[in-house]
Order: sequence, then C-alpha cells, then structure tokens
Amino acid sequence: MTSNWFQSTNARIAGAFAMALLLQIVGTLLIPGYSAPFAIRALLVIASLLAVASIGQTLVVILGGIDLSIPFVIGFANVVAAQLYGQGWNFALVCVLVGVLAIAIGALNGLISRGLNIHPLIVTLGIGMIVQGAVLLWTGGFPSGSAPQVVSSLVSIGGSVGPLPVPLLVPSLVVLTALIVLVLARTPYGRRLYAVGSNPEAAPLALIDPLRMWILTYAASAFFAAVAGVLLLGFTGSAYGDVGQPYLFQTIAAVVVGGAALVGGRGSYLGTIAGVLVLTEINTLLIGLGFRPSTVQAALGLVILLLVSLYGRERHVRATI
Amino acid sequence: MSPVLRQLRGVGFAVVMLVVLLVLNVVLNPARFQPSSWGTLLGLAAPLIGAAVASAPVILAGRGGIDISVGPLMGFVNALVIQLLFLNLGISSPWIIVPAALLVGAAVGAANGALATIVRIQPIVATLGTYLILTGVTLTILPAPIGPAPDWLKAMAGPFSIMPLALIGLCWLLIRRTPYYDLLMAVGSDDRAAYTAGVPVTRVRLIAYVVTGLFAAAAGLMLTSLIGSADPNIGPTYTLIAIAAVALGGVSLAGGRGGLGGAAIGAIDIFLLQSLLTTFNVSTYVLQIAYGLILVVAVVLTAVQERLSKRKG
Repeated sequence: MTSNWFQSTNARIAGAFAMALLLQIVGTLLIPGYSAPFAIRALLVIASLLAVASIGQTLVVILGGIDLSIPFVIGFANVVAAQLYGQGWNFALVCVLVGVLAIAIGALNGLISRGLNIHPLIVTLGIGMIVQGAVLLWTGGFPSGSAPQVVSSLVSIGGSVGPLPVPLLVPSLVVLTALIVLVLARTPYGRRLYAVGSNPEAAPLALIDPLRMWILTYAASAFFAAVAGVLLLGFTGSAYGDVGQPYLFQTIAAVVVGGAALVGGRGSYLGTIAGVLVLTEINTLLIGLGFRPSTVQAALGLVILLLVSLYGRERHVRATI
Repeated sequence: MSPVLRQLRGVGFAVVMLVVLLVLNVVLNPARFQPSSWGTLLGLAAPLIGAAVASAPVILAGRGGIDISVGPLMGFVNALVIQLLFLNLGISSPWIIVPAALLVGAAVGAANGALATIVRIQPIVATLGTYLILTGVTLTILPAPIGPAPDWLKAMAGPFSIMPLALIGLCWLLIRRTPYYDLLMAVGSDDRAAYTAGVPVTRVRLIAYVVTGLFAAAAGLMLTSLIGSADPNIGPTYTLIAIAAVALGGVSLAGGRGGLGGAAIGAIDIFLLQSLLTTFNVSTYVLQIAYGLILVVAVVLTAVQERLSKRKG
C-alpha cells in the first residue's frame, strides 16, 4: 500500500532528507562555491548547533507538550558560563553548575505543567521570563567573560578531528543522535515517552507515572538547551543574553518539519535532524542568493506551511469520534 | 449561582489583582492616576488590551487553537497604514484607513483559519508560518521606523482612547447575543460532541480566526495611534505577552472556558503591574522577573482554586 507508506513516519523523514539534499543540489547549481568544503563545514556546524537545541523540543513534543523556555535557558547558560569562567572558575565546575541549574529549571517546568495540569506553553514562557530577568539582573545587562579555548575549538568551523575535516561537534552529534534514537526505540524511557504522548489517560493504567515522565523530559530539554548555550558561547566567542532567541521558533519548526505531531505520541529525533538540515539549507541558500534576512524569514514561513500541509495534517473531527 | 458570578469565578484571581493593583497605583502615584489623565493611561494600555482580546476567540475555540501571529499582524497593519496608505498614497481619512485595516486583519485571519481548520495544520504551526511571513513582509516594506501618523489617529491614544476599546467591547457583546457564541463555546469545550450534535465545527473555528484577525487589526490601529508612527519591530513583541494576559484572565488554553472580558482584565493587570513597578523605579530586569512570576503564580493559583472547588462538589 503506497498510500500507507507515504503517510508513515519513515516516509516523512525520508522526504525531509530528500528535500535537504535537493536544496543542496539547487544551491550548488545556482551559487558558485555552495558545495565548497568550507561552506559545507559551516553549514554542518550551524545545523549541529540547532540540532542540539532541538533535542529537548523533540522529546517534549513527543510527550505532548511544548517548551518555550529553551531560548531563555540557552541565553542563561551562555551568559552564566562566560561570567563565571571570566571570574576565574574552573570551567568543568562551571559546566556542572550550569547543567544542574538548567535541570532544576526544566524539572520545575514539568512539575508545574503536569502536576497542576496547566498548559506548558504558559508555564515555560513564565519560567523562561523569570530566568531571563534573573540573568539580566545579575549581569546588569552587560555580560562579560569569554569562552575557554576547549569550547571554541569544539565548534570552530575551521576545526578538524583526526582525518575528519570537521570540528568535534559534528561527529559528537552523530554519536549523540544514534544514542537518542536508541534510547527512544529500545529503552523503557522511550516506550513510556511515546505511551504518555499518545494517550495520557491510558498511560497510568500501564503503570507509567506521567508526572515523573514530564519532570524527567523537561529536565532533559533544559539540559540540552544549556549545552547549546555553552556551545554557542564557543561559536560566537562572547556572551550575549538574547543569543537563544532565534531558537524559539526554529526548534519548533525543525521538529514539525521532521514529522512530529504537536499533539504528542509521534515524532523522532532523526526526523528533527532532517528538519534541521532543511531549515539550515533554506536559510543558507536564500542568503546566498542575495535575499535580505527579512525576505528569508518570510520564505521560511511559507516553506514551513507548505511542508506541513503536505505531510503534517491533523485528522478531521469526524475521524476522531 | 447567577451567571454573572459563575463568569467571575474563572477570572477571580485576575479581578482581585486588578483591584489591589489599582488601589496601590492610585495611592502610590496619585499624579499619574488622576482622572484627567485616564484617557492617556488607557491609550497606553490599549494595544496590549487589544492584543489580548484578539488572542482569545481562537483559544476559546479549543483543540490547541491559538494565534501567535496576532503581534506581527498588529505590526503589519501599523506599517501598512502609515507607510502605504498615509505616506505613499496620501490617504488620511479615517473612513478609508479603518475599513482597510480591518479588511486586512480579516483577510489574514481567514488565511490563518483556512490553514488551521481546512488544511488542518496544527494551529501553533500554521500561525507560526504566518508569524514569519508577516514579520518578513513588514520588515521588507518598512525597513526602519517612520512617521508621522494622521492627527485623528494620534488623538485615539489620548482623550478618546476609550472609543476603539468600547467599539471592540460592543462588537463582542453583539457576538455574544448571536447563536454563534454558543456554538463557539460548545466546539471549544468538546468538539466531538458538538460535531455529533450537528455543529459545523470547521466553520465555527474558521470564523473564530477571522474575529481574531479583525480584533488584531484594531489592536494594530491602537498601537499606531499610541506610537504615532510606524515601527516594524514593536508588533511581534505583543504576541507572547498577550497570550500571557489571556491565561492570567482565566481563559483556559484547552478552550471553551473564559471570555474576552477576562482577557482584557488580564491585560490591564499586566499594564498596572508594569506601571506600579515603574513607580518604584525598579529596573526593567526586575519587571521581567515580576511578569514571569505573576504569570506562573496566577495560573498556579487558578488551577489550585479550580481543583479545590471541584473537590467540594
């Protein structure tokens, strides 16, 4: 049944990857140097950063939630890491502290949203605003400090790992992707995640504690957002509180283009990776063709609508009875 | 329990906050809150009230209904009215500007509605698409802030600021008297039951998006009169704070519960809080924390209150 395969999750992911490849070919034909080694390296690094930021959004969306606090946590990790490192802290200690704080923020998101049954959109927005305000208050709006050499070389576009001409971030992300796919498909946590997402009422009957799942997943989301924040510190070189803001809608767009349903229970990290590649390709292509950023943004909106209307449609009410 | 009381219970916390904040503001800052400056004050709060009221109908329609393009639509109307109509075409008559703005709002709302209900893209994704398109187009036709605005429009932020808000209120009161309102609430609370009962669910939701677009355009006009110019960057900032105001005002994001009055009260709460903290001369950073804190505390208290009242019976 071809129609069935076309509607399956695998087809969506394959479609998104094909789309990214197509865009790469179009770019190569239209823009000289589009497939030059340096250009591809830059594209991979930028895509990897978005991919790390989107890990949490993917998990949370499969769970049936949404996380608007990701950009705020990215900014928080970015600024706090730079500030503390600048004050002479040991960088490993800084990372542990930032990670633990992020996990606490995320756990609070999950606890309030699920425990009191409040829409996560509102909770994560509110918590995010508090986090951002606190960071601004602490730094007075002018964060200082810089990234240690380790992080910079981890994400530098010119970096290389052994024989590979890419910085360590890219192969690490490949390993991380394999791990996440494995966790989602083969561990009890993964099964429970899909179970809670597809039917929150039935999950407790299968002895799954939804509250625990929400706390764990939102904590993971904030943790990966913090990782993205620290990586961005290495990428840009200096701290900036609003560095995460573009990631608010980009993570959601990547997840959705990758075939996940915001109602929960459907989606995969491989799909998100495909979505990330599509978004990065479109961005690079249009900027390369000389369009202004504002036009690129409008085109991005159009492409999201187009892709999602092709394969991300919801069921009619009549089909839900 | 009388219907009025039942209406109020949902927004209970927001009303209490409104009274407390109003008293604090009047006591601590009598100069700013004297009767003669009420018009200006209301003009200051008007765009946020408009944005919150505009965000409410689609949320009431349920099943994840939400319109995050309200803020960008306000910015788009702002840019269109000043740059295209007033400066390029030299039109300053309110009889052309207002209908044109409302028409644009209704058209964008209809497009959102078609995407969310007929194409059936999840509303947050559909309106994210229009969010990006509207922001991009606004920045293209208006790369930098430009002015001025027609005089009559600027006056709407001063002594006459009650007029556009009153018109929106009247509009909603009229909608509430039609059968459409009952259908909207029915669809919002249980669309499957409504569908089995013969309610045209798709059409009801589509109309909710058009109403949201209309109100958002009105909010865009109020924004234009407040800033007296066109600025491509202000509109989008209203989206999230408007949704926060709606939640604060006791409108359930699951749909079917709450009303536009609650959304307006939520917006006024946020405005009064802002005004109070500015009186204390605290930094904008503290303001940001306070926003988030009040939002979280308010929704938590509303949830706890609901839980307790359910337990009682």
